[in-house]
Amino acid sequence: MESLKKIRVVVSILFFLLLTFLFLDVGAILPALVSNILASVQVVPSLTKTLRLLTFTSLGLLVVLLLTLGFGRVYCSSICPLGTLQDIVIRIARRNRKRRWFRYKKAPFLLHYSLLAVTAVAFVGGSVLLLNLLEPFSNYGRVLTTLVHPVIVLANNAIAFVFERFGLYSVPTLSVRFVNAGAFLFPVVFLVVVIYLSYNYGRLFCNSLCPAGALLGLLSRVSLFRIVIDEETCTECKLCEKVCKARCIEADTKRLDFSACVSCFNCIDVCPSVGLKYESWWKEKAAPAVEVDQGRRTFMNAALASAMGAALPRMVSNDSLATRTPSFDESRRNPIVPPGAVSVEHFSSYCTACHLCVSVCPAQVLYPSFLEYGVAGVFQPKMDYSNGSCTYECNLCTQICPSGAILPVDVPDKKLIQIGKAAFVKEDCIVITKKKDCGACAEHCPTKAVKMVPYENKLMLPELNNDICVGCGSCEHPCPTTPRKAIYVVANPVHLVAKKPPVQKLEEKVEQKEEFPF
Amino acid sequence: MDRRMFFKKGIGATILAGSYLALGSRESLFAWGPQPRPALPFDLVAVRGGEPEVMFRKGIEALGGIKAFVKKGQRVVIKPNMGWDVPPERGGNTNPKLMVEIVKQCLDAGAKEVYVFDHTCDDWRRCYRNSGIESAVKDAGAKVAPAHTEGYYHDVTVPAGKVLKRAKEHELVLESDVFFNVPILKNHGSARLTASLKNLMGDVWDRRFWHGNDLHQCIADFGTYRKPTLNIVDAYYVMKRNGPRGVSVEDVVTVKAQLMSADMVAVDTASAKLFGIDPMDVPHIQMAADQKVGRMDLENLNIKRIAI
Repeated sequence: MESLKKIRVVVSILFFLLLTFLFLDVGAILPALVSNILASVQVVPSLTKTLRLLTFTSLGLLVVLLLTLGFGRVYCSSICPLGTLQDIVIRIARRNRKRRWFRYKKAPFLLHYSLLAVTAVAFVGGSVLLLNLLEPFSNYGRVLTTLVHPVIVLANNAIAFVFERFGLYSVPTLSVRFVNAGAFLFPVVFLVVVIYLSYNYGRLFCNSLCPAGALLGLLSRVSLFRIVIDEETCTECKLCEKVCKARCIEADTKRLDFSACVSCFNCIDVCPSVGLKYESWWKEKAAPAVEVDQGRRTFMNAALASAMGAALPRMVSNDSLATRTPSFDESRRNPIVPPGAVSVEHFSSYCTACHLCVSVCPAQVLYPSFLEYGVAGVFQPKMDYSNGSCTYECNLCTQICPSGAILPVDVPDKKLIQIGKAAFVKEDCIVITKKKDCGACAEHCPTKAVKMVPYENKLMLPELNNDICVGCGSCEHPCPTTPRKAIYVVANPVHLVAKKPPVQKLEEKVEQKEEFPF
Repeated sequence: MDRRMFFKKGIGATILAGSYLALGSRESLFAWGPQPRPALPFDLVAVRGGEPEVMFRKGIEALGGIKAFVKKGQRVVIKPNMGWDVPPERGGNTNPKLMVEIVKQCLDAGAKEVYVFDHTCDDWRRCYRNSGIESAVKDAGAKVAPAHTEGYYHDVTVPAGKVLKRAKEHELVLESDVFFNVPILKNHGSARLTASLKNLMGDVWDRRFWHGNDLHQCIADFGTYRKPTLNIVDAYYVMKRNGPRGVSVEDVVTVKAQLMSADMVAVDTASAKLFGIDPMDVPHIQMAADQKVGRMDLENLNIKRIAI
């Protein structure tokens, strides 16, 4: 029994380090299997993915739910990276003598479950906004990708700089992702709030705001093993209450609210007798029923959520291939969502904005947005071709996405998903404006949907064949025209299937007429 | 150390580092000027009919062997074309077998270091890996350097340039004693043809300027900046259409040829003929010839032809 806490500490540190590394893996060295396991045990994204696919594709979720039904909220204590981050803060707080002990405080159930209800109703109604803002894994991911990643980049580049002086090129330099101020500020505020709450009130976040905590709390009410205070052996030292960071032990009445317990096992570890037991529920009396008085509130919340869904539409306009006037505003375009995201609607309804795709994208073309999807889709990533273009042979984001917003796609299929179409404004093209050859667009196009064809004065002019365009942005990114790109990708609000690039045999397979034609 | 001391030292270090950075435009820091060039027995060597490494051995032998170019203790930089995320048989990147042979010969000749890099078009890690060049030349003893961020490039002036007056050149080229330019011959949608002149576009940072300001003139201009020690044009697999990236192996023919010359214009003229187009239809070759980068009159050059 005493080793439970040790196991919890070891497992949580392992998960914490690996998950942190997952988001900051700038060298892409973590094997795909490990990344997938780490992501699949994250409750909220795994749940949305499972609901999306309507099959139990996520073995990780099943494992976590079974663990909870068996042993309580072990996810909260051992797997959730935000949980471990709070534990670190709590440990620091407890070292400071003033905050040495906790006292029982009834968890704000009403708030917590109302929030869960609203979140669930909103999700069913197609809005992931609340999940996005409150979900622990995604928030932790955003904190790392937005706040810590730049630090890693700077440190890496400092090392690379020094190495370079000695002619060593083994450490490649990295680029910082510059995000919108709003996308930068939210993780800062979130982090400050979580640190403040945990420093002063233990795991209050997990028992008041966290949707994963609420959901698992519901399950842990009926879990097989739970911690109970043994009336006979308890010496009433109240040490358990003092170390309980979930503040769910009321030592005076010898009650322990297991739905708020995060299964950290600190109480069992500290108990001088065997006053606390972790045992199967059929040994104890049936747990007192929790008074549920939320009918009206839930109804109100449902109404609120529907209102929210209507008030915060995602930005999907239907003029997908609107011709651009000189006053064309780049920001008016629909956001381009990555292959596997099915449609802007689908992507925005499932993405909890954990930014795992942002951190694995080798081209750094997946970028955190701010309000490009509307308020409801705040922080969800989008394709940004000013940074690069979508690597034709790459499907990493489709493999890593834990929430089902980007569905898994194999590379051959991915190469036929048309996420947008190229639009060419001849009047802006260098070949027309300067009467000089350019061809940067056609050069980079992987399917030759943009091709150079003879134009006047022996010049070559781009020509589009959007049947085979996949919308990767290989044309838009290198296009040298300013301030507007002469060629750019217009999003397909619903992804389409591109035709395969035609492959014709070369008429003259080998030209061996003359060995040396000079 | 007290606080005041800490600040003093900190400020000192900052000034030192800052001035190094400010003055550190590499041009002034590194010895840079026309490198001594060997007098070669031929203006151009053309080899045909062998494997890439065999053709290189024959060709370099005809030019007096690798030791005519690489001296003991020198720093060699080899610039292949490995700009595309495609395997060798797609003809988008220089043949790794040729690269390995060059690296080995340089090291055998006593080169201190051999570096390989390219400013890629597709994702650089994937290009380095999937071209087959990174692992092959590393095994052969070369160092593979990155070139994907601006920090690796330093301002240089192109005095003879008509349009391109300034460029940012990769530091390894600036620091090299011997510079081998090793392109693969292929079709190019806008440059018409990729060979030695075009391959140098992978040495510089801001290619967008070239595309936006008369591509052919910029390619020719950069040819005036620095002549590689030797240009080795890989024409083993030749991409005949859909260049420079290609769409499938159906774009590629197996020509099994290799051309070598210290003269970029001469080797590109011969490359165009080998490719099957009129060199006069490749504007940058003609512009470079006009700017005295090299000669297009192959009939007046001393050419060694080797059939295997």
